[in-house]
Formats: sequence, C-alpha cells, structure tokens
Amino acid sequence: MTGAPLLEIAVVLLGLTVLLVEAFATTIDKRSLAIASIVGLAAVLVATFFLPSPPPAEATGFWSFYTADSLAIFFKRFALVTTILVLIMMIDYAPIVRQTIHGATHQAGLGEFFAIPLFTCAGLMWMASAVDFVMIFVSLEVVTMSFYVLVAFTRRNPASLEAGVKYLILSALSTGFLVYGITWIFGVTGETNLARITAALSAANVERMPALFGMALVLVALGFKIAAVPFQIWVPDVYQGAPTPVTAYLSVGSKAAGFVVLLRVLEPFFILPEMQKLLVVVAALTLIYGNVAALPQTNLKRLLAYSSIAHAGYLLVGVVSLAGSAVGFYLVSYLLMTMLSFAVLIIVSAQTGDRIEDFNGLSSRAPFLSFAMLIAMASLAGIPFTAGFLGKFFIFDAAIRQHQTMLVVVGVITVACGFYYYLKVVRAMYWEPAATTGAVPVSQFSRVTIGALIAAIIFLGVYPQPVLNALRSQPVTASATR
Amino acid sequence: MISEYLPVLLHILVAIGFAAGALIISVVLGKAGRTTKIKDSAYECGMLPQGEAQPRFSVKFYLVAMLFILFDLEIVFMYPWAVVYRESIVESKTILWSMLSFVSILMVGYVYALKKGALDWKK
Repeated sequence: MTGAPLLEIAVVLLGLTVLLVEAFATTIDKRSLAIASIVGLAAVLVATFFLPSPPPAEATGFWSFYTADSLAIFFKRFALVTTILVLIMMIDYAPIVRQTIHGATHQAGLGEFFAIPLFTCAGLMWMASAVDFVMIFVSLEVVTMSFYVLVAFTRRNPASLEAGVKYLILSALSTGFLVYGITWIFGVTGETNLARITAALSAANVERMPALFGMALVLVALGFKIAAVPFQIWVPDVYQGAPTPVTAYLSVGSKAAGFVVLLRVLEPFFILPEMQKLLVVVAALTLIYGNVAALPQTNLKRLLAYSSIAHAGYLLVGVVSLAGSAVGFYLVSYLLMTMLSFAVLIIVSAQTGDRIEDFNGLSSRAPFLSFAMLIAMASLAGIPFTAGFLGKFFIFDAAIRQHQTMLVVVGVITVACGFYYYLKVVRAMYWEPAATTGAVPVSQFSRVTIGALIAAIIFLGVYPQPVLNALRSQPVTASATR
Repeated sequence: MISEYLPVLLHILVAIGFAAGALIISVVLGKAGRTTKIKDSAYECGMLPQGEAQPRFSVKFYLVAMLFILFDLEIVFMYPWAVVYRESIVESKTILWSMLSFVSILMVGYVYALKKGALDWKK
C-alpha cells in the first residue's frame, strides 16, 4: 500500500494536526492555520507528480476498492487545487465568520473553519479513486458530512442555518436512494466492484430491469450531488445561505466528485441502451431549467447557483456523449471561472453586498476586481479565447460525433440565454453609475490568486493541451471510441 | 424475470398496510380517537397545568448523546476485530496497525472534544 493512498493519509493527518493545534494553541492567530493548511496541501499536490506507477488493473484486495489510474490522479489534483483556492477565500471571509460565532475567544470557530475543508478534500480524493460501491459510498459520506458542518457554519445567521437544515435533510434522503440502489445492483450481480459488475452485466442470463432500477436510484443520488434537474431544488437556497467560500466549494468540489463517480459508475451500465435515453432527458431538462431560471435573478450568489445547475447540464451532455476528457477539461475550466467569480464576490460583498446592484460602477472603484469578474463572466458565458469557450466546444464536438443532435440544439440555445444573464453582471460593473465611492481593499495574497486564475483561464482558452495530456490514456476515453 | 421481485413489492405493501392499518384500527376501535378539550388537557391532581408541554432541553444533552454514539460505535467495530485477531496476527501485523490507526483518529477527536470543553457540564 504505497503511492497514491499515502496522499489521502497525508491530507487527513494534516487535518487532524490542524484540529489539535486549534484545540491546544488558543492564543495564536488562527489564519496561520489556513496558511499552514495551504502549504501542506501544496506539498501533497507536488507529491502527486512523483507517484510510483500503480499495480495492474486486475488487482485484488485493497486495489479492488481503490484505483490510481490517470483519471483518479487527475481528479486528486483537481480536489487539492480546489481546496487550496477555497482556503485562500476563507482567509478573506474570516472576519464575517467571526461576526456570526460568539465564542470564548475572538477567533473562536475559525480553526475548525480551516480544518474541515481538509477532511472534505481527503473525501474528494478518495472519491476520485473509488472503484467499488462500498468505497464510493463511504467517501461520498465523508464529503457530505463535512459539508453539513460547513454549510451551517455561520450559525447565528438564520439563512446559513436554513441552508444547513435543507442540505442535511435532502442530502440524507439522497444517501438513502444511493444505498437502496446499490443493494438492487448487488442483488442482481452479487458484486460491488465496478469492473466485476461490468462482467456480470454483460453475461447473457442477467436480469436487466432490476439492475436498471438500481442504477436509476444511484443516479438520483448522484444527480443530487451534481445538481441535475429534477434533483436541483436545494441548490439556490443552500448556495445563497451557505458562507460564500463553502458555496464555491460545493459548486466545484462536490460537483466534480459527483461527475467522476458518475463517469465510473455509468461505464458498466452503458451496455443497457435505456440508460443513455434517461440521461439525455436529464441533461436536456438541466440545461433548460438552469439557464431559464437564471434569467430573472438579481442576487449574484443565486445567479451563480442557477449557473451551476446550467453547467451541470453541459457536463451531462459530455457524459452522455461518453467524452471523458471533454468532461475533465470542462470541469477544469469550470473550476477556474467559478473560483474566480466567487473570489471577487467575497471581496466585494464584504464591503457592499452580494446583489448584482452592489456591483454597479465597480470598474471605477476597483478596476482590477471588475476586470477579473469580466473574465470570469466571459468564460462562464463561453466567449472565445477563454477556457469556458473551449470547454463547451469540446463537449458539443463530442455530442455531434455521437449524433446527439437534440442535445446540441438545446445546448446552443441555452448558451445564448447564458450570455444575457452573465453579461448583466458586466453591464452593472461597467455601465451603471456607482452607488458608493471608495476603493475596495484587496489583500496581496488574494490579488496574486486572482491574477493567477485570470492567467490560467486565458492560457487554457488558447492552449488547452496540458490538461488534455493529463487526461489521456484513461479508461473513460477508451470507452469513448467504442 | 421481473415477477421474481413480486415478494419485494408485497413486502412494501405489507409494510405500508401494517402501519396504516394499525393507525386506522386504533382510531376506529379505540376510544383514543375521540378527543375532547378536557381529555386533551394534562392530568394533574388539583393543580392547574403549568409550563409548556414540550420544555426546551439544554443542548448539552444532545452533545453528550452524540459523543456517546460516536465512541460506542468503536465497540461495534472492535468485536469482529477481536474475533479474528488471533488468527490474523500470525500472518501479518496489518490487523494491529489498522485498528491502532482507527483508534488514534478517534483519540484525536476525544482530545479535541475534551479540550473544547464538550464534556464540561457546568460551562
């Protein structure tokens, strides 16, 4: 058991250490814990590039639960980068957390706020490697449990509390669906390992209906995670109520983990043609609902929640088209642009608020932040020379190859919808007069992060090759050519 | 094929039927179903009822209950572990280390709870 599993162990140990330091050292500045976590995660991220090659796929014992293929390593890095960015945002958000928690010391609760994302990160990394339903379930629960705490973290804020309760109840319900679905699949095949389920399902005497029923139940649970219609009811309220860095974490980390599990779990089931039809319907509904419901939004956080549903739709088009690498690239571009918009949102809303009106005339007050938001919105809408454009391009390219004409038509129409509501934010920043004056203070650390995100979006929009190379030679792209 | 799953459907129907039936029968047969204002009031000899029917509990009770469940579950894992321990330890030491790491993670949680004053009743 060397190599990849040590990464998660390192992250968990880092989390435990941060918790113990938080418990014993009561007088230190808690923000130094966040810095220490960021440095630790960065070290783990570097370590992912020096892994020994994993044992062959037909392994037994531990390796029948856990894989370290290139898809898994890719999404481990994805989880680490996401967590690092979230921790950087949390440092900016710390004053707001302090206002809503009354503890013995003036920084009470901050240590946990920085420690819990580390456990979430470990869960996300396990999810990337899980190739057995038992492992998938356990890692999914690790992620969900830590999100329960994070969503309701600013507990004196009723909106956050409401979001926490909603997330708890609906998430527990979806977990129930997942376990029930797994039992049905186990009942038909007698296996929980995905590779062995594939073998069992392609046998001649297999019963299809119960397996399909079980898979539909699993889809409900994963649909909840990735915010696909009709399991999206929780998204706007929870995203709006949760602390903003946690919203960013939910919309990127949780969604990406949902998609990597979806890619792995669906592989055995695409033998059954009904599965694809079901997913086409879900993808089309998600695209239409997410984009149309985003149109009238006036709160930027809520707008980003609906945009997150819409992007789940585009990603599902990629999943239906069996384009694993297109989904991977889209997730990377989604990570960059969503994190960028949330980073700017946190800094601006600390001064004014998170409605779109609060961004009026931002260009005169904070030219750098409004330029960052402009790039984020342009990329989310899908304007050429941004990562968001190429992401959509690869997805639609794959869909056309698979002759999913209906999905492409729906997709292109909804992209036009997206232009309206994303550029609404840009209009507010550049054309509306400012309600307040005075520059928006940005810490040096955030300024560097935002600059790096802008550069990454434009770089990947022009030259996507590094990400595509990292995604190459993986089982999902192998099945894409099937 | 699908007809083999008829027992599952029957099971669901029986479960729903039993729950609904028990409720309906108790309302129809028992006198409990008929309520009056006097019947609903709390019974206390001579004294008028005081306070609310659902008093608020201190959150400490829930905290202690949660911690109890957390550490109680440890025992559930330890029983099967103890059963196979003697045979497995001969082959490799993995069984010892895996349980030690599990317990030490819980130990960190315990130290954290202790340090945060979760078991301090008076605070």
